[in-house]
Amino acid sequence: MKPLFCSMTLTALLAAADPAAIEKGRAEEKRVCVACHGLRIIHIQRLNRGQWDREITKMVGWGTVVKEREALLEYLVASYGDDKPAAPLARSQDGTQKP
Amino acid sequence: MRTLSAALAGFPTWAQSTLRFPGKRPMLVHNDFPEDLETPVEYFDSWLTPIDKFFVRQHLPRPKADPAAYRLKVHGLVHTPLSLSLDDLRKMPQFKVPATLECAGNGRGNFKPKIPGLQWTKGAIGNAEWRGVRTADLLKRAGVKPDAKFGTANGMDAGVAKTPDFIRSVPLRKLMHESTLIALEMNGQPLPELHGFPARLIVPGWDGASWVKWVNDLELSPQADKGFYFATAYKYPNFSVGPGGAAKPEEMEVLEGMAVVSFFSKPLDQAKVKIGSVPLFGVAFGGENRISRVDISTDGGATWAAARLGAENFQFAWRTFSYDWKPAKKGHYTLCARATDTSGRVQPIEAEWNPSGYLWNAIDRISVTVEA
Ligand code: HEC
Repeated sequence: MKPLFCSMTLTALLAAADPAAIEKGRAEEKRVCVACHGLRIIHIQRLNRGQWDREITKMVGWGTVVKEREALLEYLVASYGDDKPAAPLARSQDGTQKP
Repeated sequence: MRTLSAALAGFPTWAQSTLRFPGKRPMLVHNDFPEDLETPVEYFDSWLTPIDKFFVRQHLPRPKADPAAYRLKVHGLVHTPLSLSLDDLRKMPQFKVPATLECAGNGRGNFKPKIPGLQWTKGAIGNAEWRGVRTADLLKRAGVKPDAKFGTANGMDAGVAKTPDFIRSVPLRKLMHESTLIALEMNGQPLPELHGFPARLIVPGWDGASWVKWVNDLELSPQADKGFYFATAYKYPNFSVGPGGAAKPEEMEVLEGMAVVSFFSKPLDQAKVKIGSVPLFGVAFGGENRISRVDISTDGGATWAAARLGAENFQFAWRTFSYDWKPAKKGHYTLCARATDTSGRVQPIEAEWNPSGYLWNAIDRISVTVEA
């Protein structure tokens, strides 16, 4: 049991370090995660791997068709993991004035 | 319901837009589509929050309502089902209720460990005057049958693909309360689209999720709705699970009233102020309870003194507070605000972590530097 756990952790670490997987994940996000809401609600999160995995499961359950699930997860953990500093919140322009 | 491909086809229009929301002053943007906009605390400088500064929370893309075609349906366990146009609603007695609307997740971003959801800091709250028809009047007119226990409210918004519809049940006792409304106006104006045009359920003292926007359907039934947004979301454990902890579904309870909170509006966190006289100002809210006192500490919580409370004192509406601080020495100060409500609830040093990050209500704390 123990060796298996270690090798899984190792796989995860190696995958997390793989820029190609991250790029693939980023492309997958752009392709499939924009139908129902903007990307901003994704990028303001700071979540651990388990939380990101559950988010993907939730979105798939709501009808998102994800083809590159592993790459997407690596990308989300690498970019918006809970070890990253909080996302600065953008301030909108004044919408009461003419642009 | 829209399909996934139709939604993707609609993507470019909003993706290319700049961060500017018609009718809204500069807001903190959590999401641009659909809009989730937080009010910066410096806008909490008046008892009523103007519409152009009022926070916005949406779960699903919002509907475009046709006011002429609009009908509010009241049906289910009633003797006389109703289908009312806006004119029909306007002909009924109108009531005005000042009430504070707060998102259950306000302050979620302050919890550690992090919790998925909007990462609100402090500004998913605002106070407005809502005007419209009492739900009690509608229910009396329809004649509720004895078995009915809940009214289930649905709005005209709809999810994409298999996204759950946003539907909320409210117990009959709250719907029969004289302050619960179907509002058509907010601060004397027709409800703007972002805030639920043409009609919104107003459930004073309860979490924003209950205040269903674009509402056009109220169904009376013996049971509450079984959908995601009532049966799963907006629930709170019936014991303290501790940071990162979990609770079983049967240990989760539906949120009703809100926690007791307070927020400084002036000065701003990290502000530099001049030695001498520094006015402190903010707002405090206790859900269904009134605010009975707000205490201020200017020494990081070592000593406390009572703030002056604003004259407007209504159940369901926040109360402003002010305090004339006279720092005599330059330096760094930690200011704290701690509200108490009429049921005796007091803000804690640390808010209770819970799995969905609701009801954050720690004593408000800001840092300021006093310059000579
Ligand atoms: C079929 C529609 C749909 C698609 C496609 C979709 N989402 Fe969502 N997502 C939602 C809805 C609905 C919400 C809840 C919005 C709300 O309540 O504000 C949401 C919310 C979120 C949140 C906020 C946390 C939460 O759970 O409320 C995250 C993070 C998220 N989505 C990530 C993603 C990712 C990553 C993808 C692509 C894999 C994706 N979404 C694709 C419908 C969708």
